Amino acid sequence: MKIEHRITISNIFNFILIIIIIVTAFQNLNLVLTKLRFIEIADDLNTSFLEMRLDEKNFFLYKDKTALFDIQYKVDETIHSIDTVKNDIVKAVGENNLDQLNLDLQDYVKVINEIQLHSNYDTESATKLREAGRKLREFSNTIRSLERKRVNGIILNSKRILLHSSWIILISALIVGHLISRKILNSMRAIENLALSISEGNFKTIEHIKTKDECGSVIKALNFMSEELKNREEQLIQSKKLASIGVITAGVAHELTNPVNNISMLAQTYIELYDKLSREDRIEFMNKVEGETDRMKEIVKNFLDFSKPKEPLLKEVDINVVVKKAFKLMQNMLYISNIESKLDIDDTLPKIYIDENQILQVIVNLITNAVQAMQKNGKIFIESKLSKDKKYIEISIADTGKGIQPELLPHIFDPFFSTKGEGGTGLGLSVSHGIIKSHKGNITVDSKVGAGTIFTIALPIYNKEKEEENG
Amino acid sequence: MDKHKIMVIDDEKIVCDMAKLSLEQEGYEVETFLNAEPALAKLKEEKFDVVVTDYKMKGIDGMDVLKTVRTSYPETKVIMITAFANLETAIEALRADVHDFFPKPVKIKELKASIERALGAK
Repeated sequence: MKIEHRITISNIFNFILIIIIIVTAFQNLNLVLTKLRFIEIADDLNTSFLEMRLDEKNFFLYKDKTALFDIQYKVDETIHSIDTVKNDIVKAVGENNLDQLNLDLQDYVKVINEIQLHSNYDTESATKLREAGRKLREFSNTIRSLERKRVNGIILNSKRILLHSSWIILISALIVGHLISRKILNSMRAIENLALSISEGNFKTIEHIKTKDECGSVIKALNFMSEELKNREEQLIQSKKLASIGVITAGVAHELTNPVNNISMLAQTYIELYDKLSREDRIEFMNKVEGETDRMKEIVKNFLDFSKPKEPLLKEVDINVVVKKAFKLMQNMLYISNIESKLDIDDTLPKIYIDENQILQVIVNLITNAVQAMQKNGKIFIESKLSKDKKYIEISIADTGKGIQPELLPHIFDPFFSTKGEGGTGLGLSVSHGIIKSHKGNITVDSKVGAGTIFTIALPIYNKEKEEENG
Repeated sequence: MDKHKIMVIDDEKIVCDMAKLSLEQEGYEVETFLNAEPALAKLKEEKFDVVVTDYKMKGIDGMDVLKTVRTSYPETKVIMITAFANLETAIEALRADVHDFFPKPVKIKELKASIERALGAK
């Protein structure tokens, strides 16, 4: 169900509740008004009955015969007024009670008529008359107190309904609001995570879209965007690969021209001078040819390494062992070049999953570059440590060499880019970059002309299970 | 008669060595340089008949050598060899009055013939 529909339904529910409250309140008010009207009628009756009883007293105390006529008149008046509001009274007290009232009134009139007829003032008739009058008074009192009770009841009931429905509306608003906002927030969180992972270059999608609401639509749109971005990036990578194949081919062709030319010139000169050359000279010529073929082999090997980066064979390895191994391998070169070196190792580093040989190749390559960038008496610092966010192990190789010009920095990982002129193939850093990328790590460079260069490799720390989970 | 003097500039040592060995067989006096800077310095001191230079070198490249030699020493002929044989470079070299232009790998016989022609034309 869409969030919009949920909100609408909750609003309709609350609206119906409010309407019910209003109608109930209105009905209760009407009922109260009716009941008040009944009380009024009962009051009127009560007054009439009181007046009758007053006349009774006048008759018995002062033997005033006109009092009896007065009563007669009032009884008629009361009967008449009861007739006019008969419907209301029936509603209020019921047919039976009204009949009882009429009977009582008739009894009363009968007693008065008897007294009038026989001029009978004895105690018995007086008691009869008083009894009939008392009944009338009781009747009106009963009705009045009953109606008062009912009015109180209605008012209490209205108060109760109002209170309870307010609670229901409040709670329903709170629950619905909470549920909807929780749902939106959960979806937002999922969307936020997806957007973050997309911005980091992981074009994941949210697999199980539980909701069919607006958040579901947003997630679907994001998933679509993520897939599109993934496709586009793949296309981009593909076109970049094609472009670099062009660069590589041109680079290889150029790289090979010089050794080919050298071999050609060695052969031509060898033929020309064959008779004049001593045995040693001839061997030297051939050694030179052999040297040039080695050079060609190296170029082709680098090219193959570059064009077919091998999948890293991940094994749990102590990175410090690899760093030390690389350092040992380079010891001789450092000694010959008279370069002072310092190794700073963090022994507490966790083991990581890497291809030991590939990482060794990268570190050796970076140390070689550092050595070649320096004159004699340079210094080289190799360090292994945990990254600030503790998600990576960082290995940095710093030199005190000539540094790299800022305008060249963006190109140093490009294939066939070299600052070493004929001395370099321009493939070392490019291959290193490829290796570190295939380890899901990063290789960065910071350089200052005249001060030196720092290369930093960052390799991710993760456990194998988690990695397999993530694919 | 004095020997003709030939200068060879190439950052590949084998090119320099082979050119020297082979050209000396023809009776030329050959001096080789691995980069252009000392070569141009030498030209200030001594007169050379022919300069054979590589095109792509670190620092001063072959085109700079050609232009400097043709302006400062019009008597000296320049032969250029290059691993990058493209039309633009060839045209630029021709405009700078190059005597000959060889793509690598170089045929030493052709190079010798070209040097002979350069000396004959003087």
